[in-house]
Amino acid sequence: MALVELRGVTKQFSKGDEVITPLDDIDLDIEQGEFVSLMGPSGTGKSTLLNLISGIDRPNHGTVLVDKVDITGLSRGKLADWRAANLGYIFQTHNLIPVLTAYENVELPTLLLPLTSAERRKRVELALDVVGLTDRADHYPRQLSGGQEQRVGIARAIVGHPQVVVADEPTGSLDTKTSEQIQTLLQDLNKQLDITLVMVTHDHQVAQIATRQLLLDEGKIVEATTGGTIEKVRNG
Amino acid sequence: MFQFAPYVLKSLWRHRARTMLTVSGAAVAMFVFCIVSSVQEGLERLTTNDDAQRTLIVFQENRFCPTSSRLPEDYSRKIREIPGVKDAMPVQVWTNNCRASLDIVVFNGAPPRQLREARDLTLVSGNWEEFESQRDAAIVGSNVAQRRGLKAGEQFSIGELSVKVAGIFTSPIPAEDNLIYTSLEFLQYTKGVDSAGLVTQHEVHLTTDADPDATASAIDELLKAGPVATTTRRKGAFQTSTLSDLVDLIQFAHWLGYACVGLVLSLVATTTIMSVQDRIKEYAVLETLGVRPLRVFRLVVSEGILLCFAGGVLGTAMALAALGWGGMAIGAEGVTIAFRPSLRLAILGATVSLIVGFLAGLAPATQAARTPILNSLRDE
Repeated sequence: MALVELRGVTKQFSKGDEVITPLDDIDLDIEQGEFVSLMGPSGTGKSTLLNLISGIDRPNHGTVLVDKVDITGLSRGKLADWRAANLGYIFQTHNLIPVLTAYENVELPTLLLPLTSAERRKRVELALDVVGLTDRADHYPRQLSGGQEQRVGIARAIVGHPQVVVADEPTGSLDTKTSEQIQTLLQDLNKQLDITLVMVTHDHQVAQIATRQLLLDEGKIVEATTGGTIEKVRNG
Repeated sequence: MFQFAPYVLKSLWRHRARTMLTVSGAAVAMFVFCIVSSVQEGLERLTTNDDAQRTLIVFQENRFCPTSSRLPEDYSRKIREIPGVKDAMPVQVWTNNCRASLDIVVFNGAPPRQLREARDLTLVSGNWEEFESQRDAAIVGSNVAQRRGLKAGEQFSIGELSVKVAGIFTSPIPAEDNLIYTSLEFLQYTKGVDSAGLVTQHEVHLTTDADPDATASAIDELLKAGPVATTTRRKGAFQTSTLSDLVDLIQFAHWLGYACVGLVLSLVATTTIMSVQDRIKEYAVLETLGVRPLRVFRLVVSEGILLCFAGGVLGTAMALAALGWGGMAIGAEGVTIAFRPSLRLAILGATVSLIVGFLAGLAPATQAARTPILNSLRDE
C-alpha cells in the first residue's frame, strides 16, 4: 500500500460567479521513500495538491490518506497534531520565525513531540549537521543568507522525523548556485535518509532531481515520468 | 505552554518601542485606578470599621462644621447615665480648613487619660507621660507627621495654635493617622477657639449589648431639654454625612477608575491585534508545523496578559509607593479619609490587570487561531 493515497480528489474555489477547479478528480499514489516533483504552469493546482497532502487545505470531494489515515476527516486541531507527528513542510520563502535563532527555529516542531530535552537537543543538532549549519545555530534569520535560511527551513522540516516532507518551490527564491546546493541536499535527504519528498516546482530542471515527475494541467495529472520513462496519464 | 515562552517574550521584545509604550500606558491607567481605589477603600474603611459602627457622635443639632457645633462639656456626664453607655468623651475639634482639602490639619482635644483608653494608638516615638503632663503637648498621627515633616520634641504651629510634639502615633484606623491630639483644655482655651466649658462633640462608647440606634435616640431625647439640642449618630453615619459632598465625588471617581480599566483594555487589545495582524503569517507557519489553533490562541492571549500585567504591576507599584510615601489624605469639616497602600490594593491591581490582559487578548487570539492557514500564508 502506498504511503500517500489520493482518491477522486477534487478541489474547487468560487470566485464571484465563477467556479475554479484547480484539481479535478485526481488519483495519486506516492510510495514510501519516493521523491515526487509536481510541475505545471501557474494555476494548474500544484500547490493545491501539496496543501491537500499537508492537511492545510481540504478537498471538496475525495480522500487523502497518509499512512492509512484519512486526513480529510480530521478536525483542525487533530490535523495540527497529525502534521506535528507526520509532516515536514519546506516553504518557498523559508518562513523562519525572525525572533528565534536557527537552533530555536529547528527546535520548534520538536516542542510538539513527546521528547525529553536531551532527545530534542540531539535531534536539532543532527538536523543542523545534516544541512551543514551547525556553526550557524545561534544566528538569527536576518544574519543568514537566503540559502542558509532555506537550509534551516529544511532542517526544521526533517527534525521531527516525518513520514512525508513537502516542499513548495524550495528553490524558487534562490540564485542558481544556491538552488543547486539545495537540490543536492534534497536528493541526499531522499537517498540517504529515505525521506519521502513531494516537491512543487515550475522549473523543469529542478524537477529532474526527483525520482518521479508529475505534470499537472487543467486540474489533471497529464504526464508522469519515472526514471526517464514518460507516461501519459488518463485521469478522471 | 512554557516551552513557547521564549517565543512570546522575544516577540514582545522585537517591537520594544510598541511594547514599552503599551506597558507605560497601561501603567499610568492602572496608577490612576489604584489611587481612585485607595480613596474608595479609605472611605469604606473609615465608615464601616467596628469603631464606626459601635461608637456614637453627639453633635449640635443642624450643625455640620466643627466650628459651629458648641455643646456643653458636662453633657458627657449626663450621657454616661444612659443605659448602654460605657463612656462618653468630650472632644474639641479644630481644623485649618472646613472645606475639602488634601492637606487638612485636624486637632482633636480630649482628656488624655480617656483618650488613651478609648483609642488603640501606638506611639512610634515620644512618650505618653509628656503628653499627659504638659498642657501644650500633642501627639501627632504618623501621616500628618510624614506630610509635615514633624518629629517628637519639635514645635508645630499652625494658625493660632502652637504645640510641642510629644510623640508620633499610628493607629489601626488609618484616618486616625491624620489627626493631632491635644488635651481638651489646651484646645478649649486656644486663642480664637475660646470654648471654655464647651466642646464640639461627645464621643460615646457603648457596652457590648447596647443597641447603637436606640441609645442615640435616648441621648437626643435626654439632651433635648438642655441648652443645646443634639443629633446623635453612629460614627460611620456621622462621617458619611459630614463627608457627603466628598462621597459624591468619590463615587463619581469610581467611574473614572473603571474608565482607566477600559482604557487599558482598549490599549492592550489594540497593540495585541496590531501585533497579530503583523504576524498572521507567522501563526500560520506555526500551525503548519503542527501547533494547534488552541495553542496559537493561548500564545496570543499570553502576550496580552504579559503586556497588561507588566503595566498593571508597574502602575500598582507606583501607586502603592506614592500612597506610602505621600501620606495623602483628603478631608472636610474635620473628618479625613486616609489613602493608604494595602495588600488588598496590590492584589486588586494585579488581578484587574490579569483579567484585563486576558480580555484584551481574546479578540486578537481568536483572529490568529481562526484565520484559515492558507489565507494567512498568502498574507504579505
